[in-house]
Amino acid sequence: MGSALLRFENITKRFPGVTALEGVTFDVAAGECHALVGENGAGKSTLGKLVAGIYQPDDGRILFDGRPADFGSPLDAARAGIRIVHQELAFCPNLSVAENLFLGQMPSACGFVRRQEMERQARARLSDVGLSINPHAPMNKLSTAQEQLVQIAVAVGQKARVVIFDEPTSSLSPAEAERLFAIIGRLKADGVTILYVSHHLSEIMRLTDRVTVLRDGRCINTLRTSTTSPDEIVRLMIGRPLGDYYPTHVGAQRGPALLRVRGLSSPGKFEDISFDVHAGEIVGLAGLVGAGRSEIAQAIFGIEPAAQGTIEVEERPVVLRDPRNAIEHGIGLLPEDRKRQGLVLTMDCKANLTLAMLDRLRGGWLLDRRSERAVAQEYFGWLRIRAPSIDAPVAGLSGGNQQKVALAKWLARKCRVLMLDEPTRGVDVGAKAEIHALIDALAAEGRAVLLISSDLPEVLNLSTRILVLCQGRLVGELARDEATQEKLMRLMANVPAV
Amino acid sequence: MQGKYLTNLLRAKETGLIVVILALGTLLSIFGGTVTQRVRDPETGRVTGQVQVNKFLQPMNIDIILKNSSWTAVMAVGATMLIISGGIDLSIGGIYCLAAVCGAMLLRWLGPSGAHADASPIWVVPLAIALTMTVGMLCGLANGLMVVLLKVHPFIITLGTMSIFRGIAFVTTQAQAVTDYPEVFGQMFRHTMGDFTLLPIAMVVMVGLAGYVFLQHTVLGRSAYAVGGNETASMYSGIRVSRVKVLVFALAGLAGGIAAVITLGTFGSADSSTGRGYELDVIAAAVVGGASLSGGRGTALGAVLGAIVIQLIANGIVILEIDQNYTEIIKGAVIILAVVMDRVSTAMNERRLVRA
Repeated sequence: MGSALLRFENITKRFPGVTALEGVTFDVAAGECHALVGENGAGKSTLGKLVAGIYQPDDGRILFDGRPADFGSPLDAARAGIRIVHQELAFCPNLSVAENLFLGQMPSACGFVRRQEMERQARARLSDVGLSINPHAPMNKLSTAQEQLVQIAVAVGQKARVVIFDEPTSSLSPAEAERLFAIIGRLKADGVTILYVSHHLSEIMRLTDRVTVLRDGRCINTLRTSTTSPDEIVRLMIGRPLGDYYPTHVGAQRGPALLRVRGLSSPGKFEDISFDVHAGEIVGLAGLVGAGRSEIAQAIFGIEPAAQGTIEVEERPVVLRDPRNAIEHGIGLLPEDRKRQGLVLTMDCKANLTLAMLDRLRGGWLLDRRSERAVAQEYFGWLRIRAPSIDAPVAGLSGGNQQKVALAKWLARKCRVLMLDEPTRGVDVGAKAEIHALIDALAAEGRAVLLISSDLPEVLNLSTRILVLCQGRLVGELARDEATQEKLMRLMANVPAV
Repeated sequence: MQGKYLTNLLRAKETGLIVVILALGTLLSIFGGTVTQRVRDPETGRVTGQVQVNKFLQPMNIDIILKNSSWTAVMAVGATMLIISGGIDLSIGGIYCLAAVCGAMLLRWLGPSGAHADASPIWVVPLAIALTMTVGMLCGLANGLMVVLLKVHPFIITLGTMSIFRGIAFVTTQAQAVTDYPEVFGQMFRHTMGDFTLLPIAMVVMVGLAGYVFLQHTVLGRSAYAVGGNETASMYSGIRVSRVKVLVFALAGLAGGIAAVITLGTFGSADSSTGRGYELDVIAAAVVGGASLSGGRGTALGAVLGAIVIQLIANGIVILEIDQNYTEIIKGAVIILAVVMDRVSTAMNERRLVRA
């Protein structure tokens, strides 16, 4: 193995409300395939984006070839020969495959695109990754897997020195994944250094030379793949002492099943999902990113109704075609993306808080603004929302308080079934503890809570029982007493128990 | 308590506009100079002398500004509702034209030389008004249904209906002006109290109030703000997004119909070129009045004030005896300036609310 091509020195990266990386130090040797592993939110992707110049570190430095690499933009990194294959796909969907392949560096003469040259090169690059599509095809006509392969073609086709793969197999079929592994093998043979970010331990064991384990934004250890085992890696990934800021689980009386789902299927997203959520219960839904957790909640809520399966609310079968139906049956969904799906940022707090209950604030055609204020005041008090007043624009609140407003919307609507998708994402520690206590209290009052979270301690500490999803299927259920991070992680990542 | 009331007043979104209007008014009063006016004996109507009056600040001029801004103001209230909900209506001039022409044809039919000259004004006038308003609303409804059902951006749909509505008016009138209405209809609209033309001004006040109540005090109005602010989040909150959009389009069309009623009464004539280019004046008034084209922001009072600002500029050019050829340039510059100022003051206001 050669000398260090990339060296991370004390890298720290903060985002509003969270520290994504803290004092991370490790080396990547020239020509090696180096894995970055960790739970959801451990900081793997952030680290990849720092190398690729998408983010800049707040502290510390990255040495590339022994020299400080101050990549101000992805273009700087690309010029230095660093390429990234993103987890989220970034393309111009309106342009053709060939144009996307050469975005930013189209073969040209005096400002005019050399179309034939571009097409010739595009064909060569596409066949490199085993794609047989017309380079003129518009990008938006491609399947997710094809898009992923095009992105790989973009990255590997440009005489890269370092290629970062961020969860490259998340949308690939096994056969397509094999093709990717072959490409990676070829890159390695050409002496390209690879940074491989993944949850999938089997891939890591097979492809990589060394593994760096991240946990909560810190670098835990760097191991030789040949001398470690999936077990050891899992242990390092989760080995955090459990936080002590969780409420003592009240363990409410288990009531009737408020939500019952049977055989819910949606092609390409999830299959044959059946479960119950009883009054007084918090049912955790765990799984890796892309396992289909949010999709299930959205199907129940009527946003994209499932193709098959039945839903019962309070033991009566219901058909939920749109969110309004679901809300009328007492179901609320705290969506994953607060700013896009949860709040109307142009409106003030009280208007956001009462948005789902406008039909109950109606007096004829008119809105009962006095009741509206009273409701808003009530929930401001109950949830201890810290804002100047109920008239303050919701856009100015901190993440935690915004989340409380989004949650209060469903409490004000008196929903008995609450589906909470990442309820504490991007929320600071204090507000997080408050939200946890609140979720516990909501269940204790006889609501049924379905908790979707990538934060394993959160799922473990709040849930009455935990359902585990892997690639769109329920693969296990763990009771509160028997659930451990290790068991969960194994089920989620499909690693057989020892 | 009184102090709080005052600060609230100062911080209201429209205060900036009122300040602009007062500032423009003051400038025009000072620099506009005076004009000689004849003084008539109220009994005999004979000229008894002459006085010098301020060119701008005199009842007749103020009345001209209010009257000439009335139809734009009414349409701007509707357009503001639409812009708040994330829509836009380029066809409002066409709606206004088609509604006016339809109303005009009914009025001519019932007018002195029409087939039913003997019809009683007690039902002629309400019927004509109702028809004009209904045509406007139906045009808006058609816009809204097409936007929702064909899933095409409102800009495109209304760009198309802009010519369709005007084209229908052109064909039905055969490019002739439709005039000759019952006497009483025009009298109603030209009735003055002191120096002020009563009905157009009263209609602006009524539409402005209705717009305020709709936007601030109805469920549908609140839903319009939500849909324009964030369509996805509105859908996730159980708001029927499509229904809100269609209804708001219909209301914007209705405003076009009401504006058409005012024009018919004021000018006593309508043809297929009535209101050509008004869509831009209307959108300009809404935007100057604080409506954000990205949706979710705007007020009814702002729309009315925006229309007055635009009329004030046109009036100012006359008062200051600036070359008329510069009107459009000045108007355009003021629109951009007003919107930039509004953006800055909104940002400052929000920063204050967050910090408080």
